[in-house]
Amino acid sequence: MQEDFHYYATYCAAYISGYSHDESLDIAYSAQFVDQCSRTLLAKIKGPLDAATTQLQLELMDARTDPIGLQDITRIWSAFHFLPKDLYAKKEHCNRHYLNKYRLICGPNGDLVEKTVELAKGRPLQSVGIAMHVLADTWAHSNFAGTPSLVINNTNYEFYELFPVEDGFREKQIKFRHKTSVPDDLDNSIYTNSLYQSNENSIMNLGHGRAGHLPDYSFVRYRYLPAWGDYEEIIKDNPSDYHKAFTQMIYAMKYIRGVNDSFEKNTYDTDAIEPWRDRIKNIIEKRQLLACDDWKAFGEELSGQEIEDFVIDKYFDEYKKSGKKEKDETFIGKFIRGAMAHKGMVIDEISKSGNILAGIAKQFFWVKLLEGKKNDVVSKD
Amino acid sequence: MTLFQRIKRFFIGLIMLVVAIVFIVDPSDEAYKFVIAVLSLGLAAKGIKDIFFYFTMARHMVGGKTILIQGVIVLDFALLTGSLSDVPKIYILLYLIVIHAFSGVVEVLRAMEAKRAVEGPWKMKFSHGVINFLLAISCLVFIRQTHTALIIYSIGLAYSALMRIGGAFRRTAFILIK
Repeated sequence: MQEDFHYYATYCAAYISGYSHDESLDIAYSAQFVDQCSRTLLAKIKGPLDAATTQLQLELMDARTDPIGLQDITRIWSAFHFLPKDLYAKKEHCNRHYLNKYRLICGPNGDLVEKTVELAKGRPLQSVGIAMHVLADTWAHSNFAGTPSLVINNTNYEFYELFPVEDGFREKQIKFRHKTSVPDDLDNSIYTNSLYQSNENSIMNLGHGRAGHLPDYSFVRYRYLPAWGDYEEIIKDNPSDYHKAFTQMIYAMKYIRGVNDSFEKNTYDTDAIEPWRDRIKNIIEKRQLLACDDWKAFGEELSGQEIEDFVIDKYFDEYKKSGKKEKDETFIGKFIRGAMAHKGMVIDEISKSGNILAGIAKQFFWVKLLEGKKNDVVSKD
Repeated sequence: MTLFQRIKRFFIGLIMLVVAIVFIVDPSDEAYKFVIAVLSLGLAAKGIKDIFFYFTMARHMVGGKTILIQGVIVLDFALLTGSLSDVPKIYILLYLIVIHAFSGVVEVLRAMEAKRAVEGPWKMKFSHGVINFLLAISCLVFIRQTHTALIIYSIGLAYSALMRIGGAFRRTAFILIK
């Protein structure tokens, strides 16, 4: 997902769920900041590097792909962009190493989404924004894993865009290219993707790189063969998924605000968007590279207030100028604490499932070492 | 390309360059044996690695059998190469030329595939493959004059080595999709 959904659509969802204009802006800023908070940025503002929620291209180019380096990459990408759907998923006749990667495949309505939303309840708005980013990405990034893996994330030439016609869909084979200098060509179904690398742990095989930006476009429908899927095709209906993401965000935020008593999986607040159903559908299904303007106009109509553009350094001065003790109470300080809490929770859950790909969360490592606890986890189900 | 891949690419290129120079400077029996041993070991390592990767990971992957087939063929080549120690030099040269031509054809096919499936850089790969193939054909034309054929082959090998070394330092497209 991109700025259009993480910032503007998140603002709209927050406002519909009952937050004020200012609160919605803070949630939207935090949701979008997840895609910006790299180690490079944290070093610039003198924040803790462990709080990174993304990695820049240059950081990834330098990233190691030995087991320790892979854990570092997996911690960030699995926790914030590719939340695993089922850490105890089963697949027959495969070894532990494969299974560990297979279990990191992202998808909506997993146990970790529930834990993510519950963790944000009672916390500052920054944590709500982080949770909304993670929740929304489970829809967009489903079927890919937040760890470099050829055997999980690869795709092949069997990739068709589906165009709705009267009695079904018309298909057109998607052509991929490796040029970042030119935008995706929506008219001719030509998209940029990452290079094929036969090395299992190549950075090019991280997340949905091999499928290009297709998961990030709300309008697109396509069918393809995921590398892990035993030759079973997946039809990805982004308009439907984005609609669910939007209504699930509203439902989740109503729970966080205390309007709903519980957050249950597979539940969407479709009633809340009834007055704007067609409007939202039109924005989601409009063929365009970035839907910022449409979501922004919709949000401004909703609240009657101007939605300022996302300015990355909006809160940097406040953080940099604060003393050591006050930093935690600044906007960025709260974001950092929220990010670390979320990352720690996800790493611990992955680690508890017997999966070593994300390592062990720092705050839990010493506890476990001192208690001498043994993680006997594989047989949870 | 990761740093390790660059280093690997550089060293393989360097070995190829050394082999080309050895062939031109001192085309003795020992030189042939040395080249055959290096080639055999390299191919065996690659073949075993591919087969191991298939059985541990890629057998669950769509299109994973290609990796197995590739591994088996490469290992087969390695064994065949290793068994060439007691045959006349001309056959060894013939074999090396065929491998060179084969790699050229594979390169051309890959370039064509890249052109068809993605709108990516394919011209360099294509021209590299064609040059390799043409050099191999030239070797075959001069196969009766072993020394001439060997020099042509060495030029081809040096060309591939330099391309490889150059590739190790080239800025590669790094596409991060968030």
